[in-house]
Amino acid sequence: MSMNDNKGGGKRLLDLARNNSVPLMFILICAVCIPVSGFSPAYLLNEILTRMGRNTFLILSLLIPIMAGMGLNFGMTLGAMAGEIGLILVADWQIWGIPGIILAMIISIPFSILLGLMCGNLMNKAKGREMVTGYIISFFVNGLYQLVVLYMMGSIIPIIHSSIKLPRGYGIRNTVSLLHMRQYLDNLLAIHIGGVKIPVLTFLITGLLCLFIIWFRKTKLGQDMRAVGQDMEVARDAGIKVERTRIIAIVMSTVFAGLGMVIYLQNMGNLSTYSSHTQIGMFCIAALLVGGASVDKASIGNVFLGVILFHLMFIVAPSTGAKITGDSMIGEYFRVFISYGVITLALIMYETKKRKAKGKAGQMLQLAQSEEDGQ
Amino acid sequence: MKSKRIILFRLGAILFLLIIAGIMMVIGRGHTVYVDNKSLEYNGQTYETPYKVVVFVDGEQVAKLYDKERGMTTCIGQKVAMSLEITQKKGGEEEVKNITISLPYNMDGIAINLPAYLAGLPEEAYLSEFQPAPDQPEEDESDEAVTDEFGLGDI
Repeated sequence: MSMNDNKGGGKRLLDLARNNSVPLMFILICAVCIPVSGFSPAYLLNEILTRMGRNTFLILSLLIPIMAGMGLNFGMTLGAMAGEIGLILVADWQIWGIPGIILAMIISIPFSILLGLMCGNLMNKAKGREMVTGYIISFFVNGLYQLVVLYMMGSIIPIIHSSIKLPRGYGIRNTVSLLHMRQYLDNLLAIHIGGVKIPVLTFLITGLLCLFIIWFRKTKLGQDMRAVGQDMEVARDAGIKVERTRIIAIVMSTVFAGLGMVIYLQNMGNLSTYSSHTQIGMFCIAALLVGGASVDKASIGNVFLGVILFHLMFIVAPSTGAKITGDSMIGEYFRVFISYGVITLALIMYETKKRKAKGKAGQMLQLAQSEEDGQ
Repeated sequence: MKSKRIILFRLGAILFLLIIAGIMMVIGRGHTVYVDNKSLEYNGQTYETPYKVVVFVDGEQVAKLYDKERGMTTCIGQKVAMSLEITQKKGGEEEVKNITISLPYNMDGIAINLPAYLAGLPEEAYLSEFQPAPDQPEEDESDEAVTDEFGLGDI
């Protein structure tokens, strides 16, 4: 009996380790890197809190499509572009501070909705391949974004200030300064404890989104999304409008990504017009996966754990690399390699799990059939 | 009936967002305010500068201006409130004046002539739009290093 218990306990522990292999791996990496990096706990805490405020909202925007069974929304980049368009216009209109941030968020919403509708419709035409479709759509829309920002702004869309415009008279410069919005959200209501700044308002906004997601899961639409996520055909038979539900999931995710991008960029204080959005989806998805999420299952807890572990590695890796090898670029390469590596690992694990489940179901069916034949 | 309610709800949400956006555009309009301590001729009369003016905005000193000097501050909204410590003559007594000036929405940079404002002249006399120096010709940003079309550089 006790040996069975031990065996069961061991198996459970092994399962737990297997299911949480990515966060465990990151905890190990961080545990090794933190002492080597030589950073003080106060510095690390400060950095982590800043990055949590900056990134959590964006990563939370990924949860709803996962709930609807659409996997990791690489199309969140579309929302990020909408947020950037809002910020460019607000910077040109010289709306500063918190009103500027709110206005940029409001401007981003219609763009996000339109892009989300387009993305959702396209994804409905590529069911089962949403992630790669979203990834390619983001490249396609990036081209459109460049057309608008590089050629239409200043020529068709009025842009007044030469500090934003390219010297040729149209198009937006590579970098737009958001100095008059920089960390306004983070500094309002911020509290300082022992040299550590806590951006209370940013956390409150992120907390509101968490509460919204928890509430949303219990609503009729949220339940529909979960049903669609589990089995589209069963959901359709139950009278759920599958396509519409999936489009709503993507639209919501895109809108939240737009708002999240505004929060992200107000913290940074400047906008790299042509590159800010390109890697954002990748890093948000990597952070979510590091937190223990998978392609078909993610929670708010995964988001927070992911932000902490992923960004802790981002902070300590260059310094650790410099200390070990004498070249900080090694740490930079390491963190980029880890970011893409973890996405690859999660996708492989997801596919393996799916195949295993499929194989198991096939075996069960075969067994049942052979039993039937035997009778 | 239900669809009518949905349309009304959506229209209400759009209207609400538009109102919020409108309010933000008014209360969030940023201005750069340049404060000049320069003598001014207006209607044939010359308005002389005080010896020294110290300008405070939100309790923070933003400029200490002697004759022909210019200070700068930024403000969000349509009004700027300043506290001026004015010394008319060298070694004279300081006089404190709290002033609030309405700023026109359409101007980014606004120059305020203090002697004219303190003399109670009309807005056209003390307030003018700041004209930034024309941009120096820059190198065209489209001239980028030649790389392959996949952005792989010289790998």
